[in-house]
Amino acid sequence: MAHELLNGLSRGETEQVLALGTRTKVQSGASLFRLGDPADRLFLIERGQVRLTLPMQVRDRQEDVLIEEKSPGQTVGWSALIPPYRFTLAATASIETEVIGLSRDALLKYFETFPDVGHKIALNLAIVVGHRLQLVQAMWLRQMQRTVELHSALAANPR
Amino acid sequence: MEMFLMALCVSVFGLAVAALAFGAATRSETSAPPVQPPAPAKAAPARFFADGVVPQIPILAPQVPIELLLQQIESHVRLEQAAAESFVNFPTNDVLHSKTSSPFVN
Repeated sequence: MAHELLNGLSRGETEQVLALGTRTKVQSGASLFRLGDPADRLFLIERGQVRLTLPMQVRDRQEDVLIEEKSPGQTVGWSALIPPYRFTLAATASIETEVIGLSRDALLKYFETFPDVGHKIALNLAIVVGHRLQLVQAMWLRQMQRTVELHSALAANPR
Repeated sequence: MEMFLMALCVSVFGLAVAALAFGAATRSETSAPPVQPPAPAKAAPARFFADGVVPQIPILAPQVPIELLLQQIESHVRLEQAAAESFVNFPTNDVLHSKTSSPFVN
């Protein structure tokens, strides 16, 4: 399994980093982490699928609405490396899923010893975070455009 | 004397008939139902800027079952994300504002 966070690492470096982690199976529908939880580790998805959600009021119910889905090779929980180290989404396994959890402490300690690896992983993390930012800003702009159009339509025909 | 008595009787009789006629005429006038004036139209309550009052918008009953609504939301998110992915891969104005088949935008 090629992980986006480990792109550019040699086979030996990849094995060393993966050896820092803990493999965990998450049953279908089970929570990987919850919104607001302390984020002390990130997760590489080995197999399965993870839903990232945020709570939203739908009529009189609060529902977890899908924000993004992550597949094998992708990374979730990078809030573990970004202050204030709190998960800003909830993660749930859509199907039975296996992840490798990498703790912040173990990674930072490893990066101190192998700064070149830390540099590569930091660049890969920037790509992951940057991609999310690009997606969200495009989605936000599309939604904003619709809000402006709706507002203009209501102003032109208030009744 | 007889003539005087006859004239007196006729006068009394005439007076009685006149009195009866007057009483009947008076009674018929008072017993008639009084004419009611038409009821004035009910005055409208005073209003400020009555023309500017916005009528209440009726609250629409939810038509779509919530399970279907949640599916539509999820479908909308997936379609929007796909559109955003297309924009990130090929950033142009047209792709940014491309339409999707989401029921929320159609």
